[in-house]
Amino acid sequence: MNKEDSPCLQADWENLVEVHNLTKWFPVQKGFLDTFLAGEKDYVRAVDGVTFNIRRGEVFGLAGESGSGKTTIGRLAIGLEKPTEGTVCFDGTDLSWLDNEELRMLRRRMQVIFQDPMASLNPRMTLGDSISHGLKIHYPDKSSAHREIMLDIMEKVGLTPPHFYLSKFPHQISGGQRQRVVIARALITNPDLILADEPIAMADVSVRALLLDLMVRLKKELNLTYLFITHDLATAKYICDRIGILYLGKLAEVSELREVYAHPLHPYTQALLAAVPVPRPLERRTQPMPKGEIPNPINPPSGCRFHPRCPIAQDICSQEEPQLRELRSSHKVACHFAEQFL
Amino acid sequence: MTEEHQRTENPASSSVEIPKWQLDLDRVGFTRKIFMARKWYGGDWWFVVVSAFLLLFIIIVGVFPQWFAPYDPRAEVGPSLLAPGEPPSAYVLVVQTDSGVTTMEEIGGKDNNIGFIIGSPASQALREKIVALNAESQAAGEGIQYQPRPHRYETAELGLIAVETGEIDGFIASPEELEGAIDNIPGVEVAGTLRVEADEGFVMGTNQIGQDVLSRTIWGTRIALIVGLSSAVVSILFGVPLGLISAYVGGTLDRGLTLVMDSLYSFPGLILAISIAAVLGAGIGNVIVAIAVLYIPTYFRIVRGQVLSVKQELYVEAARSLGAKSHTILIRYIFPNVIPSIVIIFSVNVADAILTEAGLSFLGFGLPPDTPDWGIDLARGQDYVRRAWWLIFFPGLMVSLVTLSFSMLGESLSEILNPRLSE
Amino acid sequence: MSDQNDVLIQIRNLSVTYQTRMGSVSAVDDVSFDIKRGEILGLVGESGCGKSTMGKALMRMIASPGEISGGQIIFDGEDIMNYDDKKMRDFRGRRVSMIFQDPMTSLNPVQRVDEHLTEAIEVHEPKTKKESITERITTLVERLGIQRQRMTDYPHQLSGGMRQRIMIGLGLVLNAELIIADEATTSLDVIVEAKLVDQLREIQDEFGLSIFMITHNIALVAEVADRIAVMYAGRMAEIGPIQDVFDNPLHPYTQGLLRSVPSIQLDDQEELYKMPGEPPNLTHPPSACRFHPRCPVAMPICSRIQPTLEETQPMRLVNCWLYQDHPEKETPTNQVMV
Repeated sequence: MNKEDSPCLQADWENLVEVHNLTKWFPVQKGFLDTFLAGEKDYVRAVDGVTFNIRRGEVFGLAGESGSGKTTIGRLAIGLEKPTEGTVCFDGTDLSWLDNEELRMLRRRMQVIFQDPMASLNPRMTLGDSISHGLKIHYPDKSSAHREIMLDIMEKVGLTPPHFYLSKFPHQISGGQRQRVVIARALITNPDLILADEPIAMADVSVRALLLDLMVRLKKELNLTYLFITHDLATAKYICDRIGILYLGKLAEVSELREVYAHPLHPYTQALLAAVPVPRPLERRTQPMPKGEIPNPINPPSGCRFHPRCPIAQDICSQEEPQLRELRSSHKVACHFAEQFL
Repeated sequence: MTEEHQRTENPASSSVEIPKWQLDLDRVGFTRKIFMARKWYGGDWWFVVVSAFLLLFIIIVGVFPQWFAPYDPRAEVGPSLLAPGEPPSAYVLVVQTDSGVTTMEEIGGKDNNIGFIIGSPASQALREKIVALNAESQAAGEGIQYQPRPHRYETAELGLIAVETGEIDGFIASPEELEGAIDNIPGVEVAGTLRVEADEGFVMGTNQIGQDVLSRTIWGTRIALIVGLSSAVVSILFGVPLGLISAYVGGTLDRGLTLVMDSLYSFPGLILAISIAAVLGAGIGNVIVAIAVLYIPTYFRIVRGQVLSVKQELYVEAARSLGAKSHTILIRYIFPNVIPSIVIIFSVNVADAILTEAGLSFLGFGLPPDTPDWGIDLARGQDYVRRAWWLIFFPGLMVSLVTLSFSMLGESLSEILNPRLSE
Repeated sequence: MSDQNDVLIQIRNLSVTYQTRMGSVSAVDDVSFDIKRGEILGLVGESGCGKSTMGKALMRMIASPGEISGGQIIFDGEDIMNYDDKKMRDFRGRRVSMIFQDPMTSLNPVQRVDEHLTEAIEVHEPKTKKESITERITTLVERLGIQRQRMTDYPHQLSGGMRQRIMIGLGLVLNAELIIADEATTSLDVIVEAKLVDQLREIQDEFGLSIFMITHNIALVAEVADRIAVMYAGRMAEIGPIQDVFDNPLHPYTQGLLRSVPSIQLDDQEELYKMPGEPPNLTHPPSACRFHPRCPVAMPICSRIQPTLEETQPMRLVNCWLYQDHPEKETPTNQVMV
């Protein structure tokens, strides 16, 4: 694509990240004989034409079950993977314009908090080294200031007293402390965007509230924008401003979180919201769940991907793919018959 | 407020409390930490300590053999094939009664006949005496004068009878050998002593040349350690970087290198070492190279495997997302996690290298024949298994001991170096 | 509805200890409770509270370096701690069955679905005829919502939800009286989880068996359980009927926990309670009441003397000094409102 054609040139200033028609297909590894006989390659269609924006200073949630493509979209959004098709715009810059070195330097502004704190910390690096590594990479000539910045960040995330942690290794501290280390590491370069990939899924229930609160406070204090990936819709309610619901690589619905939860317009969203257990014994779910299971992303259903399981599916649903259209103010749905739920 | 835990002022604050026991653990001094290590290491603590001490001892012996070895390993310091602890016995010359002969010089000439028991060290005593006499006569300018014909007899009695009948001029034996027999034969008497009985023997006995086995064994440690450690180091210097690069870069380079290494690896070790040593020729340097080549594929494979698995780990991806450059990732993230396996192979490698080196020298490749080396000693001692068991016992014991210590070390290291075991 | 007052299994003073490098850890410390016939009892707790250990202990499946260091497990009148190997083998699978978190590793990858079920019957009821076995398992598989054709599939050909249903089937095929579900839905998507839980409820209604559901997901327990038990750091904190405990939690830990559980409903739980501290490391547990360092209403006695699990009102058991008397206690005891 020429530089002149990139949609990033028309990017809205209010959006930190814009994603247009993002597509990622992974080729399926096949044995020699299979390729020989079958002729064509198979692809896992992890992400198939997804478009959304993330406004500056907001927490944008991407929710979905397995196979929805949410993790892949996250990685595409910060350039850890290159899309098969489509564009990612970060602060008006099309990521495909950048060469490897430029992209590497842009990383300072987009950081990641991974799901498993134990696995995302180098077991042979001290916590101090892990946390300050970002500074060493992006500000190598200011090494005298590194220690102070690091101690400051550690205080902010609640790792006090900081000097207790500096020479420790990941296996010597608890899970909750580890996740804070990961957060500190992500924040130390003063990024604009944080990709949080299920950041509290592995923390204990009683600790999750603390971590969520920490993330919200830090957002305000440090002017951050979050891309928050989760499968836990209940947790998303407490941190996400807007949310997008993904099904099998496509966006089903996107809007303000309260709007989506109060008025879900896509049958999948409705089922998903009903399926989440509610901690109220008197209000047990009575709504039946969609039949069948999530299909294989190698061979997704034709037309609307949800149609084999959808309670309101008609003929057109298997023939024509619904596009995301705005039905209520900034509430977009990809369904042919969403009007009936308005 | 309870005493045990320090609480932050505001319980709603986001800070994490650090329990007192964790803070206490920090304040403990270094020596205390070593003692507490016994607690976390568990029941096999003694295993590490024993192997560490053993290894330390072996290394000191290997580095300073001159402090420990009583004799020069190449010098003939005693009668041959002396059993451990046995003092070399005296040897006496038995002649016909009233022959008037008192010393060897009189009957040591080229026309004389001297007898001794088959296999007895008396032959060596005889030889020593003759050599000494010849040295004197050569120094005096008279050339080699002494060369009596040796005659061997099954028993002392037969020999003494030969003396009595005049068949031989003299009979050499130790007093123990003559015991009983000499009283029965009237016509012979003891002329004089050829060699005086010594006070003490040799701790590990002597070999067939008369060299002290203990000294040879101690000096053998040095060779073994030099060859073992050097070859291991050379293997690491080649195998590890190749493995790292091959796995990190991947593609055709990886495929090519793997093919080469796998072929080398599939060769039976000793045969490969022999071939290389044969091609390169003798000498300790060539032996080291030959053995090093043997182990390069092992390091390559293990390191490559480790790098491939570490490459997939989440913390490597985290490093990439931080913006780290490739070489930083390789050096700070991948390599440190590969080191434990290298260290473990190293210890097994050294043990195996020592064995291989012993095998090579045993077969006659590599080291010059008189080098104090366990393999060489084992080779020379194999014919004497029944007569002089100590010739192979002590070198063999040392090989086993050193191999064992390195293997024990490797095992203990594999426990210590694994940080995934939480405290 | 089965007779709620009929007790199926009684656990009394159960303790499980692990020998670790740092010393011995009491993963389960003197725990007592009942499971009634035909009820669904949910056991909730965080990581390290001992709930998984509890599940395994009920089947006497604690392996070295752990062991059951004390207590009784009385199943249908008999203490299974006294069972020999043969009786235990009969017990496991036929009277009590377990569903694990990861169905991929608990099913044999080289055995087909029908082979799994057939083997279970053949081992426990060896005299059954082949035709009746086939009929039994086919009916069961269809009852679980799996198509008949899938019976010849191997585990890797099935989805996670289906595999879990096979695991349930393994319990049902022998008419087990108790199914222990240890984080059975944790690795499943939420819609699949919802369907599985529906299935469990149906099965419980139809077959009248008891389900012991171990999970960290409190909302899930609210959806499905009749009674709830809360564990903390190896000890039982509170047990009671689900609605009562949710309406009026007695133990401070339960109170904090319920207030920190996110709810998807928009008007519910506007702000989450942030419990200070973290679940303790059991190699260095706090003294006496293990919750006292995090407890907002801790009293001096709490760090000195351990409370016991007492029935403060019918059907409600709490392990807390707030509701018990002791000569050393300074503050008055709360009377629990009925």
